[in-house]
Amino acid sequence: MYAFEYLRAGSLAEAGDLLSKNPEAKILAGGQTFIPTLKARLAQPTHVVDVARIKDLAGITVTADAVTIGAMTRHVEVGNSAEVRKAIPALAALALEIGDQQVRNRGTLGGSVANNDPAADYPSAVLALGATIITTSREIAADDFFQGMFATALAEGEIIKAIRFPIPKRAAYSKFHHPASGYAMAGAFVADTAKGVRVAITGAGASGVFRWSDAEAALAKSFAAAALAGLKVDDSNCIADLHAGSDYRAHLAAVMTKRAVQKITG
Amino acid sequence: MTKIAFTINGKQVSSDVEGRTLLVDLIRDELKLTGTHVGCDTSQCGCCTIQLDGDMVKSCAMLAAQADGANIVTIEGLADGDKLHAVQQAFTECHGLQCGFCTPGMIMASVGILKANPNPSDEEIVKGLEGNLCRCTGYVNIIKSVKRAAELMKV
Amino acid sequence: MRLIQGHGRYASDWNMAGQLFAAVLRSPHAAARIVRIDTAAALNAPGVRAVLTHADAEQAGFKSIVGGVALKDRNGQPMKKPHYPVLAKDQVAYVGQAVAFVVAESATAAQDATELIEVEYEEQPAVVEFADAVAPGAPRVHQDIEGNVAYVHEHGDAAAVEAAFARAHRTTRLKVDSQRLVCNPMEPRACLAAFDAATGRYTLHAPSQGLIGARTHIEQITGLPAKDVDLIVEDVGGSFGIRGTPYPEYFMAMLAARTLGKPVKWVGSRSDTFLSDYHGRALALCGEVALDETGRFLAFRWTDEINLGAYAGPFGAFIGTQNVSITSHGVYAVPAVYVRSTLAYTNTTPISAYRGAGRPDIAYAIERLVDQAAFEHGFDPLELRRRNFITPAQMPFKTATGPTYDSGDFPAVMEHALKASDWAGFPARRKESEARGRLRGIGLASYLEAAGAGTFNKDQTAARVGDDGRITIFCMAGGSGQGHETTFVGVFADELGVEQGVIEYRASDLAAADLIGNGTGGSRTAAGQGSAFKALARALIEKARPLASALLGGEADYADGRFSAGGKSVGLIDLARKMARGADGRHPLDCEAEASSPATFPNGCHVAEVEIDPDTGVTDIIRYTSIDDLGNVLQPMLVEGQVHGGVAQGWGQVFGEHAVYDRESGQFLTASFMDYAMPRADWLKGTFTRESHPVPTATNLMGAKGVGESGCSGSLPALMNALMSAVRPLGVKDLQMPVTPVVMWRTLNQTARKAA
Repeated sequence: MYAFEYLRAGSLAEAGDLLSKNPEAKILAGGQTFIPTLKARLAQPTHVVDVARIKDLAGITVTADAVTIGAMTRHVEVGNSAEVRKAIPALAALALEIGDQQVRNRGTLGGSVANNDPAADYPSAVLALGATIITTSREIAADDFFQGMFATALAEGEIIKAIRFPIPKRAAYSKFHHPASGYAMAGAFVADTAKGVRVAITGAGASGVFRWSDAEAALAKSFAAAALAGLKVDDSNCIADLHAGSDYRAHLAAVMTKRAVQKITG
Repeated sequence: MTKIAFTINGKQVSSDVEGRTLLVDLIRDELKLTGTHVGCDTSQCGCCTIQLDGDMVKSCAMLAAQADGANIVTIEGLADGDKLHAVQQAFTECHGLQCGFCTPGMIMASVGILKANPNPSDEEIVKGLEGNLCRCTGYVNIIKSVKRAAELMKV
Repeated sequence: MRLIQGHGRYASDWNMAGQLFAAVLRSPHAAARIVRIDTAAALNAPGVRAVLTHADAEQAGFKSIVGGVALKDRNGQPMKKPHYPVLAKDQVAYVGQAVAFVVAESATAAQDATELIEVEYEEQPAVVEFADAVAPGAPRVHQDIEGNVAYVHEHGDAAAVEAAFARAHRTTRLKVDSQRLVCNPMEPRACLAAFDAATGRYTLHAPSQGLIGARTHIEQITGLPAKDVDLIVEDVGGSFGIRGTPYPEYFMAMLAARTLGKPVKWVGSRSDTFLSDYHGRALALCGEVALDETGRFLAFRWTDEINLGAYAGPFGAFIGTQNVSITSHGVYAVPAVYVRSTLAYTNTTPISAYRGAGRPDIAYAIERLVDQAAFEHGFDPLELRRRNFITPAQMPFKTATGPTYDSGDFPAVMEHALKASDWAGFPARRKESEARGRLRGIGLASYLEAAGAGTFNKDQTAARVGDDGRITIFCMAGGSGQGHETTFVGVFADELGVEQGVIEYRASDLAAADLIGNGTGGSRTAAGQGSAFKALARALIEKARPLASALLGGEADYADGRFSAGGKSVGLIDLARKMARGADGRHPLDCEAEASSPATFPNGCHVAEVEIDPDTGVTDIIRYTSIDDLGNVLQPMLVEGQVHGGVAQGWGQVFGEHAVYDRESGQFLTASFMDYAMPRADWLKGTFTRESHPVPTATNLMGAKGVGESGCSGSLPALMNALMSAVRPLGVKDLQMPVTPVVMWRTLNQTARKAA
């Protein structure tokens, strides 16, 4: 790691202040991606602003039609929350598929979504459920939030406060773990929502998480794995690297989608 | 520098740390608790697993400054005096270790598994160990050890 | 007990007052000329005490890192070995080669300063694959080695093999890769060196498998007499072959400690492990078998390609020569065998021994070849093996390649494995898998390896008796999880007939007992050191007997830990307690012993049963059966652990592990756990059955054959044969390791497309 100054923010106001005073500062949430990045000397912030203890960013609230989760809620808390399990079991299950127990004990929803790693799990749930990202300055719809690999609609200094997930009729997540890193090589979140069927694919897209519209259309007509037969994810925008070609990732995305549907339909 | 204070294995400690000091480096280099190991630099191997406020975490993926105010237990603090923790007992009985380097992390992760689930299936144990690497045992006897620990804890 | 409470002492756990910290600058290039190194900025950085480069190493008189055994080919030509400097001199030949050694007041200061060293490189074209290295016009890894070929090894009777192939009824040829691996013990390398100016002695803490070998290397490379170096090794976090000899950082830390007058500590990272620990495997073996009309093997011919990496590593040349030759006809009676290996340099990390060091590779190649021959010529693979096994009646069996197998019952071991794995029930299980859309396969391997050959022709042990009668025993093998303490104390106490509680084991303590003996490696300590401890117990009894006889007043008999004569008796430990030390401080029962234990031939039969998900290419291991003839088993639980670990490492090689280099740039692409797939706890989905089928050897006192490497030798071929059995019916002709999910998926897809 390069040297930096550690600053802990006690409130959102203080965090905003520290960030505006230090233009080269970076936000630290759970740190499960950020600290390894710092260790690899891939980032060189002057300051690191720890927001994990800000009270306004904690907590899970469930209403009749939505689950709202504070940005600093750890994966383990989402996964084990009886309320989340009842309202959106697929979201709780996804949280328990992230990383490993140690990572889930530190990593946070806000950190994961703000980072928008193309192989992260949460972005698929946010997108498929049509969630709303509530920040320090506005509310952003999931469809507008993710803007390509590691890129989001967040402005400098803007912090995610919470994410509001509309409760779907039914949903499921299916993930293929990367054999070395454990990240998603392909993950599919399928949600049957009030606004129709939404399918989001993570891990495979060269521009990060994306919606698979052909599958959405087919499942809208008939919500069954059989409806996906013959459908292919366009591999021209899928990641190709030394681990797998874009064709394999596109194929896995389709298989994971099918398996997510099967999880729902039994 | 940041001034921090926390409890480790029941003892109150305080320290001035650089922003970039990792928690594991503070534990090993300053507090000289060398039972917590560093086996990788990408947070994959789990050798550095410790218990922080009741949860198992990788101390190589935390800044020391983040531990301010925490209650930490390392492998050295797991036994109750001369009485081994059930998981330590089970690893000994079932030959759950060979070179011993991954062992502190494996034991801490196993404690975490059993805390969340006192009666885990093989599959649940395997999932609980997904953040820990071992190069010697092939994991067979580690899984056996966790099952044995579950039995010991019931008595 | 220590290890489960966090009280182990691995190399990085040691600290000394006033110690300084080191960091290494490594080459970012696979091949480059070093035009200039400017250390001024780094030297001026805060806290930096020294920046050492090749010039310093040369001034200290450091010689080339030792490239193992001196080989001469059949024309008397020695192996070509380039100078391998401790720090790079005028060229770098692989990514990660050590270039400079920074010493500072903190580890971070040292690390920060490495970025301030200016090295001007002139990049050169790189070759990383064997085929590219030996191709006409290939770039030279070393200017003075044309064609990059270090050595051509030949073994066996080429003419006899030629003749056998000429009269063969049928032949089969199969080339298999044993891809480059990173050994990855869980403990990254580390060292702590100190120099005592008053005595001129060095203290060095570093992970090592064998003290004597390590000290010899230190002497050869640094010129310091071995006796002036106290190498202290308590716990080692895994070795697997690559911790047999010291690495550049240790020499540099010693030099820095002397120059600066302070202890110097270096703690490597996992990244250092990937880049600079010796790599394993990296060879391809092309086997041909000639059969007569009944399926009897007439000859084997092996044409092997060995990728040595950039330099000759300590055991690098051993792998593709001796180790792939001595057992190159496995468990079969093959009248003629010929091996030809070409060893070439490439711009990659040098290779050395990794769990088996050539023996799993040849075992793998043989068993794939036999299965392939059975398939091609319509034999049942079990029947073909039965027809060609060396039988117990033929033991001792003088092989065509040289060694004599002393014992073994290969047919019975296979039958045992068939029964334990319910081989006969497989067709029904396959049907059940097919009904679920899965491909099921079963594969078998009858492996044999040569274990126990060491550098020294004997192993010495010593006993030192305390005033309280307790006995401390010593040898020179370095442990790293093998359970030496349990095994050796068990052997010694059992032979004496005393409680284990009165015996203590200490490894590699030259101050207490100046011994020679082999390091740990080649699956040899149970037979080698085990025998020497048995001999030690006998020596101790004989040393005590006259003393006991004098005490008891008659010729004493010894049994169950007691001497008795004329109705009186005394326990050995009580006797020891009564004896006074001599003027030289020695206890009258202090003694030494040694044993010579030649190579043994552990063997066994492994059966793997797998299920493949054709949608994802993922393979699950449904059941794994290992029946091993390891001779007498001294500690069943330890032996079982060794087999589990070896099989899991085999699984790693079959399904995921691969050190991948970019063919153009020579960059190392899978140099972290994020990209290099290690076996995790989920590797085995089903059951692991392990049973012993001992056929004790008479060639050592223990009757043991050795276990450490058998898991790899059995699992590579058993798993790959199982995969082939699953996909052959679909028309798949070949698979090469590693069969990652994507490789399997692509293979199935391409085969399906061709069939359509």
